[in-house]
Amino acid sequence: MYLVGGALIWLAIKKEYEPMLLLPIGFGAILVNLPLSIAGVPTVAGYENGFLKVLFDMGIKTELFPLLIFVAVGAMIDFGPLFRNPFMIFFGAAAQFGIFATMIVATLLGFSLKEAASIGIIGAADGPTSIFVSSIFAPHLLGPISVAAYSYMSLVPLIQPPVIRALTTRKERRIHMAYHESKAPKWLKVLFPIATTMIAGIVAPISVPLVGSLMFGNLIRESGVLERLSRTAQNELAYLVTLLLGITIGSSMVASDFLSLQTLMILAMGLVAFIFDTAGGVLFAKLVNLFLPASRKVNPMIGACGISAFPMSGRVIQKMANDEEKGNIILMHAIGSNVSGQLGSVIAGGMVLALVPLLSK
Amino acid sequence: MDELITGLQAAPVLTQALAVTFGGLIGVFSTLGVFFLIIWISGKLAKKDG
Repeated sequence: MYLVGGALIWLAIKKEYEPMLLLPIGFGAILVNLPLSIAGVPTVAGYENGFLKVLFDMGIKTELFPLLIFVAVGAMIDFGPLFRNPFMIFFGAAAQFGIFATMIVATLLGFSLKEAASIGIIGAADGPTSIFVSSIFAPHLLGPISVAAYSYMSLVPLIQPPVIRALTTRKERRIHMAYHESKAPKWLKVLFPIATTMIAGIVAPISVPLVGSLMFGNLIRESGVLERLSRTAQNELAYLVTLLLGITIGSSMVASDFLSLQTLMILAMGLVAFIFDTAGGVLFAKLVNLFLPASRKVNPMIGACGISAFPMSGRVIQKMANDEEKGNIILMHAIGSNVSGQLGSVIAGGMVLALVPLLSK
Repeated sequence: MDELITGLQAAPVLTQALAVTFGGLIGVFSTLGVFFLIIWISGKLAKKDG
């Protein structure tokens, strides 16, 4: 486990792959596996009575850390590009396909429904949702699931382009999309987080902690009267909770649990989830194009941005569009699809949380 | 509905996963579809207001 911890720290420092998460996770993994450490018996949550166990019980078992991260993420998100082109929201739904496809693969590999759902949720491409769901359904898999979720999120620039190229023609990747600049009214920006929380509460009540905390952060941002709170959520809160979250997840990586075939399978399935997500979004965009006139076709690469890795996926797709044809600007559409992915991943997490317990009695 | 859930509870895990997939995708699309309507109608209202 020292090598695993060291490898995560190396990836964070040398390759800059999600350093804010992977470095604390790597150090936590080393800490929890030290022999003759602070308090004796290692558990899935770190040493009994040790400070890592206290953090785990306080922040993960209670689901507090991922929800606080969501408040921060909500304060960072600008739904403006989505308001200008609301149809993009459906790409945020289509790109959640990877969650469900991977869940099916996981059940075929012998995982229970709850474990499979936790593994599938790596495809949410959204760390807090993955942690939230797996801490409820499969806390013993929290370590590998979190590592997979954050690692693959940072590898989006490597994972998405080959999948997109395999599923699209050069002509499709060169499709231009017109963008009309318009400003969303303030009342819409304020009403949206309130309305979405209420609707999510009706459709999937169990998703309210996820959607509610995300939208609370967004309401703080859009209210226009809580500038300092918004900045605090985006900076101090995000950094502080990320720091504690990382080392706490690392503390769940006890050698006896982590060094197993199961972990390798989870890491592999995490990659499968991201590939299915990307494919789901791209294929949905191609399906939509069948019904659109030639002048209004969608660049199918936009569909791939429906995964929640925000804003990295949007930037990757813009770079690909520019590489295919200099001056092809689809960034705002890509970002609209990308913020939809954030919404879609949270709703998908809520759906999984609502449906799985119904069936796995 | 209760009968369907009871039947699925007794079904193999793969069938349960397929059911969660079916229900989950419908749920995600319909929820985001409602969000789409909210934004679309709001956009129309905003244009009307000038």
